[in-house]
Amino acid sequence: MNFPKELKYSKSHEWVSYEQDGTVLIGITDYAQKELGDLVFVNLPEEGDGVTAGEALGDVESVKAVSDIYSPVTGTVAEINEELLDAPQKINEDPYGAWLIRVENVTDTEELLDADAYEAFTKEENQ
Amino acid sequence: MSLNKLSYYNSSSTDPYHNIATEEYLLRHVAPGECILYVWQNFKTVVIGYNQNAWKECRVRELEADGGSLARRLSGGGAVFHDLGNLNFTFLVRSTEYDVARQSEVILKAVQSFGIPAMRDGRNDLTADGRKFSGNAFYRTGDYCYQHGTILIRADMQKMERYLNVSAEKLQSKGVDSVKSRVVNLCEYVPDMQISDMRAALLRAFGEVCGLEPAPLSESGLSAEEIGEGARRFGSWEWRFGRRIPFQYEMTKKLSWGEVLVQFHVAGGIVKEAAVWSDCLDVEFPGLAGEAFVGTRYGSEEWDELPGKMEKETHRERMAELVGCLKEEN
Repeated sequence: MNFPKELKYSKSHEWVSYEQDGTVLIGITDYAQKELGDLVFVNLPEEGDGVTAGEALGDVESVKAVSDIYSPVTGTVAEINEELLDAPQKINEDPYGAWLIRVENVTDTEELLDADAYEAFTKEENQ
Repeated sequence: MSLNKLSYYNSSSTDPYHNIATEEYLLRHVAPGECILYVWQNFKTVVIGYNQNAWKECRVRELEADGGSLARRLSGGGAVFHDLGNLNFTFLVRSTEYDVARQSEVILKAVQSFGIPAMRDGRNDLTADGRKFSGNAFYRTGDYCYQHGTILIRADMQKMERYLNVSAEKLQSKGVDSVKSRVVNLCEYVPDMQISDMRAALLRAFGEVCGLEPAPLSESGLSAEEIGEGARRFGSWEWRFGRRIPFQYEMTKKLSWGEVLVQFHVAGGIVKEAAVWSDCLDVEFPGLAGEAFVGTRYGSEEWDELPGKMEKETHRERMAELVGCLKEEN
């Protein structure tokens, strides 16, 4: 299991990357994609939509279930990764490359974990 | 945490929207440590998965003409057919108590109690001699989870085949496709099996597998208001047809006035772009017809009003035939 040091993590298994231009990329973690299994569909918000920290930003359907994805930040959707709409399996193949949305005008952030704390958290969850 | 309370609820309704709303209500109200077994039946209904295209999975017009309903559920997966020969179950729990193997064991044990060789096949199917009698699907929101499925006892397989059989090449859509399975009614094994027998067997197996005595939930304990609100939402055109899943539709047909090719781009259930081509000598009609479809709800009764909106009598007639043909195909 992979936990890149440069990312921050939410307890609902999303990752956050702070970009140099002030925007934020959000994806789901390697742990999350393994738990979900093979993804067959992803529902994302639209550009210009607002997202709220702790609330669902969209959902993914895997062979196991439909599951909500929660936004770790409050802000405005600047861009969505349209490639995933046709190829959701890219999230399984490369969870940290396959970002879901780019958020701008971030005004609020959930409490996030660093890589070590998140790794420890996933171990607790699995017990 | 382990299970400390078993509850069960039998729906007295056969309305799919009411029943799916009840399922959502029970999910929102399941307590930590509790597992609810919810048992329900729908009158003639095709239920599609959360991320499916209604028209791609179901002959909607034919189903509705026969008095049936199309419903969309919260869980993923493929389209299934329900009627009163089918019994549905849902296990509703918090995530720490969610156990697909245990829940499936309840169904298997109930079915096996009739001497039927039921087993789990893959992740989502319960089968007997390699034929599926129960398709299962799963949903999770926050800490709340459910597993639900069908149990085919004496379902009308001919209707199932008819409504779910859609020619694939005409409609190109994003979303999740259904997988065809060999299916079997359990009455093939036990000819006199009644729905009530299976209800009783499920309840018995639920208690045995979980090691607790299930207690009934009464209808008066549920909020009719909340369930009614959910039923309206699940029955709405927006929820059933208006999902954002975009698709392309194409039809080529020989009509009385010429050959016609129709192409639609649909998003959120609304025709966003429409093009009509024809070899007929009327050069005006195809353009006007295409324009008329833009902005309408795909396949809805709004199409019935389109012929009347054309200015020329010949155009009204042509449009009526075109709309009739498109509705026939959808």
